Amino acid sequence: PCTRQGSGAPAPGSGATIFALSSGQGRCGIAVIRTSGPASGQALRSLTAPRDLPPARKACLRLLSDPRSEEPLDRALVLWFPGPQSFTGEDCAEFHVHGGPAVVSGVLQALGEFTRRAFAHGKLSLTEVEGLADLIHAETEAQRRQALRQLDGELSHLCRGWAETLTKANSNLTPYVGLDLGTLRGRFLCDHTIHPSLPQALAHVEAYIDFGEDDNLEEGVLDQADSEVRELEERLLSPIKLEQADLILAMLDASDLASASSCNFLDTVVIPAGAGSPNGSSQRLLLVLNKSDLLPAGGLDPSPDLPPHLLLSCLTGEGLDGFLEALRKELAALCGDPSTGPPLLTRARHQHHLQGCLDALGHYKQAKDLALAAEALRVARGHLTRITGGGGTEEILDIIFRDFCVG
Amino acid sequence: CGRWVAASLTKQHHPSSRFSGDSAAPWTPHFDVVVIGGGHAGTEAAAAAARCGSRTLLLTHRVDTIGQMSCNPSFGGIGKGHLMREVDALDGLCCRICDQSGVHYKVLNRRKGPAVWGLRAQIDRKLYKQNMQKEILNTRLLTVQEGAVEDLILTEPEPEHTGKYGVSGVVLGIMATSSQYRRLLSEYGPPSLGYARGTGKSQVPQSKYAEPLAVIEELGKEQERDGEPGTRHRPRRGIVDGSTVYAESVVLTTGTFLRGMIVIGLEMHPAGRLGDQPSIGLARTLEKLGFVVGRLKTGTPPRIAKESINFSILNKQTPDNPSIPFSFINETVWIKPEDQLPCYLTHTNPQVDEIVLENLHLNCHVKETTRGPRYCPSIESKVLRFPNRIHQVWLEPEGMDSELIYPQGLSVTLPAELQEKMITCIRGLEKAKMIQPGYGVQYDYLDPRQITPSLETHLVQRLFFAGQINGTTGYEEAAAQGVIAGINASLRVRHKPPFVISRTEGYIGVLIDDLTTLGTNEPYRMFTSRAEFRLSLRPDNADSRLTFRGYKEAGCVSQQRYERATWMKSSLEEGISVLKSIEFSSSKWKNLIPEASISSGKSLPLRALDVLKYEEVDIELLAKAVPEPLKEYTKCRELAERLKIEATYESVLFHQQQEIKEVQRDEALQLPKDLDYLTLRDVSLSREVREKLHFSRPQTIGAASRIPGVTPAAIINLLRFVKTTQQRQAAMDRLPKTDQRLCNTDKLEDRQL
Repeated sequence: PCTRQGSGAPAPGSGATIFALSSGQGRCGIAVIRTSGPASGQALRSLTAPRDLPPARKACLRLLSDPRSEEPLDRALVLWFPGPQSFTGEDCAEFHVHGGPAVVSGVLQALGEFTRRAFAHGKLSLTEVEGLADLIHAETEAQRRQALRQLDGELSHLCRGWAETLTKANSNLTPYVGLDLGTLRGRFLCDHTIHPSLPQALAHVEAYIDFGEDDNLEEGVLDQADSEVRELEERLLSPIKLEQADLILAMLDASDLASASSCNFLDTVVIPAGAGSPNGSSQRLLLVLNKSDLLPAGGLDPSPDLPPHLLLSCLTGEGLDGFLEALRKELAALCGDPSTGPPLLTRARHQHHLQGCLDALGHYKQAKDLALAAEALRVARGHLTRITGGGGTEEILDIIFRDFCVG
Repeated sequence: CGRWVAASLTKQHHPSSRFSGDSAAPWTPHFDVVVIGGGHAGTEAAAAAARCGSRTLLLTHRVDTIGQMSCNPSFGGIGKGHLMREVDALDGLCCRICDQSGVHYKVLNRRKGPAVWGLRAQIDRKLYKQNMQKEILNTRLLTVQEGAVEDLILTEPEPEHTGKYGVSGVVLGIMATSSQYRRLLSEYGPPSLGYARGTGKSQVPQSKYAEPLAVIEELGKEQERDGEPGTRHRPRRGIVDGSTVYAESVVLTTGTFLRGMIVIGLEMHPAGRLGDQPSIGLARTLEKLGFVVGRLKTGTPPRIAKESINFSILNKQTPDNPSIPFSFINETVWIKPEDQLPCYLTHTNPQVDEIVLENLHLNCHVKETTRGPRYCPSIESKVLRFPNRIHQVWLEPEGMDSELIYPQGLSVTLPAELQEKMITCIRGLEKAKMIQPGYGVQYDYLDPRQITPSLETHLVQRLFFAGQINGTTGYEEAAAQGVIAGINASLRVRHKPPFVISRTEGYIGVLIDDLTTLGTNEPYRMFTSRAEFRLSLRPDNADSRLTFRGYKEAGCVSQQRYERATWMKSSLEEGISVLKSIEFSSSKWKNLIPEASISSGKSLPLRALDVLKYEEVDIELLAKAVPEPLKEYTKCRELAERLKIEATYESVLFHQQQEIKEVQRDEALQLPKDLDYLTLRDVSLSREVREKLHFSRPQTIGAASRIPGVTPAAIINLLRFVKTTQQRQAAMDRLPKTDQRLCNTDKLEDRQL
């Protein structure tokens, strides 16, 4: 049923391209967004870039991403109906996206972005913005993320990836893996909403450019900026520390639990994590005992100290399904809870921007021209603020005048 | 005709003065454009309007203060030099005058990349004023008149434009004889580095004026002895009482004169005229019309007798050799490097901190700083915010034959005797004689969100504001606004579209966009950090960004300059394509130019343009390696340098260009000027967003999106609304227009003249 038919029926041949959510209002499994008009092909291509148009009238799975930020929006079925063999006679496209107002609005917003650009180019006449704005108004980016993070498939996919890693590490078991969701780094940055390093470094370089003649600044300002950039790079590249991990996957050799190193590990990592941190939030921990194939037939000696755990044999594959299921549950709980921060799927977006940031920091270090160096930092900051928000000129000026006596 | 006496009197003063036909004819006080104020905004505005072909009147308190550098004896700097080059690209005055009046030319930031080079010079106050007056008094179509403006003449607004009122001229007030302290202000008056907003409302008993008046009177005598302008023959004031001057456009550049107050120690005194002060009258009128007024503070350092300073123990700074001229049309400056004056550097010390901190109770200017600017303009703010540090003080010459030294960095409002005490604890100044104390000025400014990017007010049609009145500080910021206001005042009279510079095109655009969309609550000063597209907006290429537009759209650019810019542009384009066409392997380049640190590992061929990117390579070196065809490009020094700069930024600029296009697209989306955001029904906007849009009245979607608090959703809503309005408007246009007229009559009823 058509719950919302965007801008009313377009007069055939009017030249306008319209789009609207044609079914799937509110929370639902699948929502269908349709576009109709000469720019439909372009819109479809811009959301599914870099791939080309799918074959006509054939459902294809495509990753939709925002044409401006390249941020992934959803994995969706798309259909392409070149006119005149379409339901309106014009070129049409359909996006079958995962339901829920937030995902839908994310895609509509991207279409809106496309629309705005097309409008600016003089290619579209703006009627297509009809019906879009109130949706965007109500549904925030955060809600979209929330909806996305419940996507079961992605979770299983991730779990499988980790399981693979673990299996490869089979013989020499790492005692624990701080799960690097990719997002965790982003989350880490979000947690310190104003992450000081980058604006600080930028402010120092900017101050040196604008007030370099002030001898209060001459010395050490750039060194300071360099060290801040180094610090940031380290932070971005360093593995997540145990205490920052959302979920600790602790793995021990089931046949070697009595050894000193195992005991030590249990005492220092497993037990404290279960007990919770001083601020009341307990870390999630999954204790896995591997090499269950080496255990005597009776299984593990019942040990009163041992927290809940799973048995696994990477060699035989026994217990793997149970392990994956448990891991999936943990992650679902972790990511399904709106209070835990960035969702799983923003992973790709975060990685995109973090990589962009790292690249720019690399340019910064190479630049000999200070204006170019500052430009690199500005680009780096642009990427980070896509994750953390904020980021105007005033913020930098505030830091300059807070840190330096200039003027 | 007695009231137009100044013209003939100043003529004696400047035998070379030539007045246009308009001014020589019997005086009919009717002009296309009237500019009020002869400061840096006013002179640029008046000259620009005249260049554009409008009959222009410059109204100033005194002709002999035209071109007065009221505070620091320097022009330019980082960011500010960028603004000057853009003013010059539009054929403005300040760069050319500086090339004739400097005493110490030095480009700042030489080591930091050409995008952020800051052209700067110490300027001889007297020469600058002389040269500026010569220029202004010899500008075709420009008449200069002494007078004080009491009020604006308002008319009904033109229905096809927004705005509650129209302006059709000004009412002149009574010119009182100058009082000593007023002269002090106009001679050395409002400096450019500001303090922040203060209340300035505290009234002190009359008797308390005694001290500053004594100081100031003393100063007057000193100046006369110095042979500074104070002693010069002054033209008699034209006493003009309540007469009017009619004009199509009015540009207001009153600087700090709107309710200005001078502050030294605990003393405050009105800085305008005595009696019913014209600037107060004007300030009242503006307030009554509904302009939102704010208050800012600024200050100036004391002046020190040159011969009382022990320069021998201080660090000397010598000027550049060769000097780099400010103006695109000059190859050199008027003075050889070896004839220029040095500057000296000294520093504050803990004793200075002590004097400041112990006497805060005697310092009402500082005490009143409820919300300071973020930067540190005065020694008090430095000491208070960064205790236990030493701060640099530049000792700058005020001119070739001036006996005064300007201690930059020592702006202070302590009582005079404490200032002297403070000065003498500084190295090199142990025996220094203070000629004039530093002081603070508090003044009104008008919230710049009340003007459009063409600097016309939203409220009053054809009334333009430029300079400090908009909350900026600095000669360069003032000049930049002046040239834009002058051009637009003229275009408006000629019914041509406004001349607006986008922030993607120039620092002038950044300045005006920041002011008109964000407003300011500290004296606004330009920094290169404010420009998003810093690598594109460089001092070297201001002409290719603005000269052509100025020539074609505004008519403010001379033929000579236009031709020069055209030649440069085509030479650059040709040069770049030649440099792109020369390709060799990196090992061959390495052989050709052993000086360059080219890594020979790359298999891809390198273009000459890529080689030119290396820090150690310039056109000269390239031309030695590949004489044909590159030899050609070494002949013009400016061309060679500019090619090098283009090469340095080429790859980054390519990316920046995409971003610029995106911003420009948003700026091409115009919002209707007459939108009433508060009552607009068909568009879903939050109360907060409505109020913000209502106050700033952004002209484009781009400007709207930069207003803090205006959400992306609101922007989309606006777009949709604009579209539907356009459609409705198209339908309306087919109907007879009766309701439109009614609407305007309604507006008229609100007016209170």
